Amino acid sequence: MATLKFLCDTKRCIECNGCVTACKNENASALEWGINRRRVVTINDGKQGEASISVACMHCDDAPCMAVCPANCFYKTEDGLVLHNKDTCIGCGYCLYACPFGAPQFPKSGAFGARGKMDKCTFCAGGPEENHSEAEMKKYGSNRIAEGKLPMCAELCATKSLLAGDADVVSAIFRERVAYRGAKNAAWG
Amino acid sequence: MNKLFKHLGVAFALLFSAVCFANGGEQAVAQASDAQMWAQLKDGAVGYTASKSEFHGQAINTYDLRVLDLRADWLAPALMAALFGMIAIFIVFIKINGISKLHHGFSGKMVYRWSKADVAIHWLGAIPCLLLILTGLVLLAGRFFIQPYLGEGVWAGLVNGAKQVHDVLAIPFMIGWLLMTVLWAKNQMPKMYDIKWFMVVGGYINFGPFKGKHPDAGFANAGEKLWFWAFAIFGLVISVSGMLLLFPNLFEPSRNLSLLALILHGVSAIIICAFSIVHIFMATAMSEGGMECMVSGYCDENWATQHHNLWFDEIKANGTLKYKE
Ligand code: HEM
Ligand code: SF4
Ligand code: SF4
Repeated sequence: MATLKFLCDTKRCIECNGCVTACKNENASALEWGINRRRVVTINDGKQGEASISVACMHCDDAPCMAVCPANCFYKTEDGLVLHNKDTCIGCGYCLYACPFGAPQFPKSGAFGARGKMDKCTFCAGGPEENHSEAEMKKYGSNRIAEGKLPMCAELCATKSLLAGDADVVSAIFRERVAYRGAKNAAWG
Repeated sequence: MNKLFKHLGVAFALLFSAVCFANGGEQAVAQASDAQMWAQLKDGAVGYTASKSEFHGQAINTYDLRVLDLRADWLAPALMAALFGMIAIFIVFIKINGISKLHHGFSGKMVYRWSKADVAIHWLGAIPCLLLILTGLVLLAGRFFIQPYLGEGVWAGLVNGAKQVHDVLAIPFMIGWLLMTVLWAKNQMPKMYDIKWFMVVGGYINFGPFKGKHPDAGFANAGEKLWFWAFAIFGLVISVSGMLLLFPNLFEPSRNLSLLALILHGVSAIIICAFSIVHIFMATAMSEGGMECMVSGYCDENWATQHHNLWFDEIKANGTLKYKE
């Protein structure tokens, strides 16, 4: 089985926010006002060393959100994706505290701005409802994985900075790029 | 590589390899600046983003991932032990040791001890406290100890119910805690004779060298004082950390502060829970005639002389001794 991952090549990201828009459009049925499953962060904006990176849930191997959730509503798919069950989620916010990437988000609902059900990137893989059912559309959005397609954000990235797919394939593409750019002896890590 | 990378595995490896490899073989300057960016992101650099969601300006938040293991592997079982373990220990203890009877039986003369208001604030704090322990236990340890025995629907209902009840009862608990702490502290100051009380475990042990001992005690005995101050201190910790978790919009804690609050909340819960079990056993089962104090506010005269001799002598001497009509 494949292990699906995102990878963002910061040398190519031009902060166009195409991925953000693609995600919003693709998953509109599930997204409440103010939720951004994907975002582009630019550090050193307008200064030397400016760089942009597109961030969403990284579908961690040993996911902190999964470890901390009191309702235990996360599950790992056979493709290595980290998805969750909104019917079980209690909106406690622990996953937001634990996630290194700020992926979990909450619609404000109820008195005193209490948190609603957590929402995050699904890798366009829907959720625990029947594939393409109305319930899945409403709670989790699109399910492109079930159709054999990759997430909309990566598919629509104009510079192919954002890559999504099998971890081995994605990193092979990336290594090739690095080699082409001439990074023979500049590899880090 | 630090511990964080190891834990997050491929996700990090890919994210960073993008950043690290990408500096190409260009110039030393470019390399230096990319290494810098790598370091900046890792150190939690905050940049510009069009998203208005919480914390979205920061690509990566770093913290010690061991807090997750601490909570799952230590705090969750410890809270189970503080509740069920303590109950088991107490049942065995009472079976072996027996309870503390009134040597001269009930006198039937009831001595004024607590005002109606005192009894009321006791229960204002105590009833929510019990339910907060039970609902908190579901939140902290439920997924390990309860969920495996339930279907998904029942579990979802239980954990959601626990959260809702916990959120609401936090408020009366805090009012009760504050009133008890402020109004009762004057009777709970440590005295020299408290040390002697501890030396003979309050005279509750019915065998060996402890048998038949009756240490001095004022209005509150040394054990009650210990419970009072533990409740005052950890009640404060649990209230402050709970407020951070309950009203994030009001206090806007950082994610790491919230995780710290979660840990402190759990530790305080364990301590308060263990003490509560002891307290409840002492009041209901262990000390004959003790429960009456928090029902009517009066205690039997024989109970007063046996368990709180110095207090009884004092009110008798200064004329504040009052009997029930
Ligand atoms: C005797 C008093 C209390 C006990 C024994 C208790 C116990 C607990 C425990 C064990 C947890 C789970 C922690 C975890 O999952 O790591 C928890 C969660 C929580 N507690 Fe408490 N707690 C008490 C009082 C309070 C108070 C006074 C407040 C608020 C001011 C509060 C607010 C919360 C919140 C907001 C959570 C997170 C889950 C949720 O959103 O309901 N607690 N508590
Ligand atoms: S929500 Fe955060 S912690 Fe959980 S898998 Fe996604 S990136 Fe990892
Ligand atoms: S908000 Fe929902 S998904 Fe996140 S930790 Fe709480 S119950 Fe789990």
